[in-house]
Amino acid sequence: MRISLNWLKDYVDIDVDADQLAEDMTMLGLEIEAVEQLGADITNVFVGRILSIEPHPDADNLVVCKTDVGHGEPLQIICGAKNMKVGDKVPTAVVGAKLAGGFEITKRKMRGVDSYGMMCAADELGLGEDHSGLIIMDPATPVGRDAKPYLGLDDVVFEIEVLPNRGDWASMIGVARELAARYGRPLHVPAIKLQEMATPASQFSSVTNEAPVLCPRYIGRVLNGVKVGPSPDWMCKRLLAAGQRPINNVVDVTNYVLLETGHPLHAFDYSLLAEHRVIVRRAKPGETMRTLDGEARTLTDQMLVIADAERPQAVAGIMGGEHSEVGEGTTTVFLESAYFDPVSIRRTSRALGLMTESSQRFQRGADPEMAEYAINRAAALMQELASAEVAQGLLDAYPEPVPRREVTLRYDRNNALLGAHVPPDNQRKYLTDLGFEVVNESPDTCTVRVPTWRHDVAEEADLIEEIARFHGYEHIPVTVPSVRPIEVRFAPEHDALAALRRLLVGYGLTEVCNWTFSSDDAVRNCGLEDAYLDMVRLENPLSERQAAMRSSLAPGILNNVAFNIRHGSNDLALFEIGPVYRPRADRELPDETPGLAIALSGAAEDRYWSRAPRAVDFHDLKGLAERVIEHFGAGFEFTVSESALFQAGQGANIAADGEVIGRCGRIHPHVLRSLDIPQDVYLLELNLDPLLRLPQRYSQFQSIPAFPPSLRDMAVVVDAEVPAGAICEAARRAGGKLLQRVEIFDIYEGKQVPAGKKSVALGFVFQSPDRTLIDADTEKACDKILRALKHAYQAELR
Amino acid sequence: MNADCEAVRQAAMEEIDALEDLRALEESRVRFLGRKGRIAALMRLLGETSPEDRPALGKAINEVKEALTSALEARKQELEARDLAARAAAEAVDLSLPGRRPRQGHMHVINQVIDDIVGIFVELGFQVAAGPDVETEYYNFDSLNTPSDHPARDSHDTFFVKPGVVLRTHTSPVQMRVMERTQPPVAIVVPGRTYRVDNDASHSPMFYQIEGLLVDHGVTFADLKGTLALFVRRFFGPDTKARFRPHFFPFTEPSAEMDISCSVCRGAGCRVCKHSGWLEILGCGMVHPNVFGYAGYDYETYTGYAFGMGVDRIAMLRHAISSISFLYENDVRFLEQF
Ligand SMILES: [Zn+2]
Repeated sequence: MRISLNWLKDYVDIDVDADQLAEDMTMLGLEIEAVEQLGADITNVFVGRILSIEPHPDADNLVVCKTDVGHGEPLQIICGAKNMKVGDKVPTAVVGAKLAGGFEITKRKMRGVDSYGMMCAADELGLGEDHSGLIIMDPATPVGRDAKPYLGLDDVVFEIEVLPNRGDWASMIGVARELAARYGRPLHVPAIKLQEMATPASQFSSVTNEAPVLCPRYIGRVLNGVKVGPSPDWMCKRLLAAGQRPINNVVDVTNYVLLETGHPLHAFDYSLLAEHRVIVRRAKPGETMRTLDGEARTLTDQMLVIADAERPQAVAGIMGGEHSEVGEGTTTVFLESAYFDPVSIRRTSRALGLMTESSQRFQRGADPEMAEYAINRAAALMQELASAEVAQGLLDAYPEPVPRREVTLRYDRNNALLGAHVPPDNQRKYLTDLGFEVVNESPDTCTVRVPTWRHDVAEEADLIEEIARFHGYEHIPVTVPSVRPIEVRFAPEHDALAALRRLLVGYGLTEVCNWTFSSDDAVRNCGLEDAYLDMVRLENPLSERQAAMRSSLAPGILNNVAFNIRHGSNDLALFEIGPVYRPRADRELPDETPGLAIALSGAAEDRYWSRAPRAVDFHDLKGLAERVIEHFGAGFEFTVSESALFQAGQGANIAADGEVIGRCGRIHPHVLRSLDIPQDVYLLELNLDPLLRLPQRYSQFQSIPAFPPSLRDMAVVVDAEVPAGAICEAARRAGGKLLQRVEIFDIYEGKQVPAGKKSVALGFVFQSPDRTLIDADTEKACDKILRALKHAYQAELR
Repeated sequence: MNADCEAVRQAAMEEIDALEDLRALEESRVRFLGRKGRIAALMRLLGETSPEDRPALGKAINEVKEALTSALEARKQELEARDLAARAAAEAVDLSLPGRRPRQGHMHVINQVIDDIVGIFVELGFQVAAGPDVETEYYNFDSLNTPSDHPARDSHDTFFVKPGVVLRTHTSPVQMRVMERTQPPVAIVVPGRTYRVDNDASHSPMFYQIEGLLVDHGVTFADLKGTLALFVRRFFGPDTKARFRPHFFPFTEPSAEMDISCSVCRGAGCRVCKHSGWLEILGCGMVHPNVFGYAGYDYETYTGYAFGMGVDRIAMLRHAISSISFLYENDVRFLEQF
């Protein structure tokens, strides 16, 4: 809503400056989106009078004018406009003047003739787009004065955001009412000066209200002899300031009254209404009409229409019909001012996909009392501006007055809720200043009747908000409460996930954060199994690519890898922690399971002058998986994965404490190709839920050995296919209780060993808790290990 | 005999002065001071000397021996110092080469901001709560005093999953989920993902919010102001001012929006704050009686406040991030800046 300060002053005396006013409005809840100082960038434009107009000696489309600007010699100005004549008063910019958009006037030579200024069209002064001719000013305007005030360029416009529950603020009177209360000034509502005809309106027309639930009040007026024509300057100026383009006096009056009162009006061409009468009724199922926007609308019996004797002429409160539109030939107008049920308007507007200024206002809740003022105000203006003869009286179908709520305020409850001490007298006064009427009172309470324009006030808390606003939020004290702790924990996983994040960041990984949307294509492109197509799907997605909630973290993080490589970042160590969503047939809401994804690609370490960087491989990823599972205190096991996501032989399923919770591996080249990733990527995805459920386990102290360990190495040659892990495990079992640890410190395949064989170098740590070991102890154990390896894997000592 | 002593001393001194490495020095030491060395030979002569000459000669031999010992030691130290200096010169590093740094990971800036905000409220006694992203309309709207025909639903461009199920448009539904589980006191903060059908230069269809709720005996609007003012001073810096303006939310009454003094221009007015000197960062208010009704709390016994803030905006403000799209693009050149 655009609020013109000059216009606002019609309704309330304002003596603070624009900045202060903006501040005061803000603190009342009228959020200021912008403050526009009209004409702020315009200087040195004066009211000029054209003394002479001569043809330009060297240009057919230009004229040479002499214009008196009240001081000094008349100025010689070259002009291209055609609409002026000698004697006209026009806004004249002199040399040094600044116009809209910072355009500066200088002395110029135009086709050999000097020009000492410019006479202005509307657009040059920031008044809309019009450039069809000079602005011809009122002949009474004094020559030589600053032209801006005469053009409405001394106004300030506040662009305010109207809160959804305060439809009453979307009007000049609504805003003025708040400010009148704020400044303790009276509200001036313009008096209606209307001279009605002797003939009553009922002789011209009638209103039948068949749907009083959907339309509690319907008022009509008949205006005869309307002369459609342009609106006067003062009205155009205000409509322009409010952002409305003037059209003609009939349309402009309804718009003006809408802006002034907030109440939408509709004008029908009376002569086009069958039997000249109006019926408020539900549409018949399947009934059709063409609305003002040219669309054919099919209606249902849930929709309210304004009909004549034959057919619907308007979708009530939303849009009029083409058939009865007011036009050039209109002489008699049937003017409507009604109060429609907000919910009905909202539903119809939704069902038709038709949102209008009018529907928005009615669905926020209009004022049934204002309906009457608005129609009278409009009738009086039409009489004044369009020579309308107004038939006597209202055609007012208002079977049951809209009930007015009464709400009781307890003064001490107000202070207890706000934590402030607002004296009872002040509390009551804030309310009465806003139009609440006290209907009952006690020393501790008052009961007020809520004004008809305040649909937002239904209970005590709403009154307390009013008191808080007018007491001033800034005057409510500032205290810090002491919070009582409670034992139940609502989201223990939050801390665990935060700790996991820090762990991975500590390992040098960078966290990504993706939108949680996915799509069938995204799942398929990543080579994920069909089971991942079972997704939570959206009814109204932004696009096909975001049509579902992700069933896996893989598509997102692989997409991050592709994006970054495309942008020149090739060495990547990324992770994401977040939910995946899977539908549940047996429950309303899907499962949301916290997951972890890690993607590695490129070099495993930063480039450095002392060594060549190593490329990441499967075991970098596996090591991270081991660390993560260990972090939660679980044991892990990796088994072969056959998933098409991974290159054969480089994929593993991951189990923690015996339960498979995820997988990791080298992304299959086919998948890389479909994602357009030109280098190897290693991906891990884990379901964190089982890990988060594990009971907290605290490390238990192990005594520090008092005797030194004995270290022995052994290299054995085995078939290349034998997993090193199996050799370790066999050694561990054969090593006896003195064997504390087995490490693999080298794997070799090549010329030094026969083809198809590999050498596995093992390091053993022997230790006894109660003595220093001697060579015989470790030799015996090593012999046993070697025998076991020979037996199980035909191992040969190397 | 004294002449012999003198000859040994002279020969030794000359040799020691000429020594150039520690191995030769050791050989010299053996040659002069060893069991079969020249000092030992002089000592053997001592037995053949007359008793009256013996003390003088013994003294002379001892003097030579001491002189040699200390000369050798001095020379040894010289040579060691020289060797060390040579080694140090050979092994000196180029200090200007960059350090070998462990690879640095980065937490996503959104999670850093969430950690910081949550940390402040946890310190004040709040605890973290959570709820699902895919939420029922009941929790997202109805129980928050936003029935199906409420105009406020229009401003939430909601993603629908199926009738009655939506992607939550705010973190507020967790208020009701927690209140259903427990009687007051309740003091929670709820970081989480939220969704609206909106994708442009300043909106992301998925974004993050942090909700707060305090319900107990005698919780006041003044407490709300105090808590949030303390929060912004802790988070944005001690000079940050908070301003509360009336606003509307269906689930609070009275309701407010909170602005902070612009961190860019410190209140003087700039492009970031649209020349107002203030930046809107959160919505808040006293819990609406109807919400207590849904929770089964007695509005006469308890009062409460609630607030909700957009993490994305706060992250963008604190780190001067120029566009929301950076937050979810996951360009490592962006992620590694934080
Ligand atoms: Zn600023």
